[in-house]
Amino acid sequence: MALRASDLRIGDSHEEVVVHNLSRTQIVQYAGASGDYNPVHTDEVFATKVAGYPTVFAHGMLTMGLSGKMLTNWVGDGRLTKYGVRFVSQVWPGDTLTSRATIQEIREENGERLVDLEITTENQDGRAVVQGSATARIDA
Amino acid sequence: MSELEKKKTEFEARIREFVGLPEGPPYLCPDAVNEAMIRHWCDAMGDQNPAYLDADAAAETVHGGLVAPPTMLQSWEMRGYPMHDATRLLPQNNQRKLHAAFDEAGYTGVVATDTEQEYARYLRPGDRITAETTIESISEEKATALGIGYFIVTRSVFSDEQGEEVGNLSFRVLKFKPAQEAQAAQESAAAPAKPTRIRSPYGHDNGWWWEACQEGRLLIQKCSGCGELRHPPRPMCGSCQSTEWDSIEASGRGSVYSFTVLHYPPIPGYDFPCPVGLIDLEEGTRICANIAGVEPEDIHIGMKVECMFDDVDEGLKLPFFYMVE
Repeated sequence: MALRASDLRIGDSHEEVVVHNLSRTQIVQYAGASGDYNPVHTDEVFATKVAGYPTVFAHGMLTMGLSGKMLTNWVGDGRLTKYGVRFVSQVWPGDTLTSRATIQEIREENGERLVDLEITTENQDGRAVVQGSATARIDA
Repeated sequence: MSELEKKKTEFEARIREFVGLPEGPPYLCPDAVNEAMIRHWCDAMGDQNPAYLDADAAAETVHGGLVAPPTMLQSWEMRGYPMHDATRLLPQNNQRKLHAAFDEAGYTGVVATDTEQEYARYLRPGDRITAETTIESISEEKATALGIGYFIVTRSVFSDEQGEEVGNLSFRVLKFKPAQEAQAAQESAAAPAKPTRIRSPYGHDNGWWWEACQEGRLLIQKCSGCGELRHPPRPMCGSCQSTEWDSIEASGRGSVYSFTVLHYPPIPGYDFPCPVGLIDLEEGTRICANIAGVEPEDIHIGMKVECMFDDVDEGLKLPFFYMVE
């Protein structure tokens, strides 16, 4: 299943809650799955006493992956060709994140139909945590 | 050129040598793309896409079999955390050497700021991936909310056993000198028993002055436009609005313009009663500092004083003005 150019309009968007009430356990799971063991993400004592943060916080790449889940759910299997994000603010345990992709452009390149998307993920207070862009292949 | 500027020039020359260098030889990722890591990743993401998890369902998709989520790209080259073998954590490649050079110069903080990834194809279990990472650029020094630092961009190109590129990514991090709060927290964690002084605000516009204090030198900012001296350090001259400035080294001699003696409330890290003076320096500007070496009741306006630098806390020297009569 894939998106079809004929069904899409610039400005169309898709939104998903990608994590509800993020737990410290999920952050630790991500450390194990990604191989990123920086203790600011997993060790409460280090994060607070040594690094001076209020508590541990999520890896930027965890938020990127969560937002990517929304993208791949929407654009379909094997369709994502490009994806970039800026880490705008930190994601903390307890956060609920909503990711949204909005169509910026529908175009053709080397005989392939492509859609350019703008990505924003916000926390429960409406504050952006990542912002970025993506490109996916679509059908005619 | 001041001592401080010379140090910065040397540091920048050193870090710029890394620009364009490969992180090391091409790195064959330790494990083939595999179902177990894909499953752990999907658990952490809450991603239930059968194309990643269910071989039978995946066979029916466009891929014809299981694939890895595209955003896992970077995880295949992660080196893990080998607690049994500390040598693997040493700065053995150029990226770690570069970070070590920053750490040494006090830029100990690191934070990822953005990444951009391109996927040529989705990876399948069994793919053996080789990563080639290059240090692409280092920015000028920037003042950020986290502290003063430099942005470093690395680019990694991933290829399969046939040498075909499967994807690439750029990754930008900020290496920074942690601003006040974090530094104070670090110090209090190291020595919770002894209270230390609250550090003065330290930043782009006044860091040079505090650093000179650590070398036992009392500097005065001097406007390059009109020659007026000013203290405390700030970016613009109050007389002629020039933002060009230099500094001169003070003799340390001066006299008490005014003073007060603090008794209450007792702030941790200070001895009480605590005399604080406004000192007219003989060069012609005024500085606020502690008066020392004299009983508080003997301090008087016009009293001749001379500056000496005392260690108040580990790594913190401050100017104190002692009576000279």
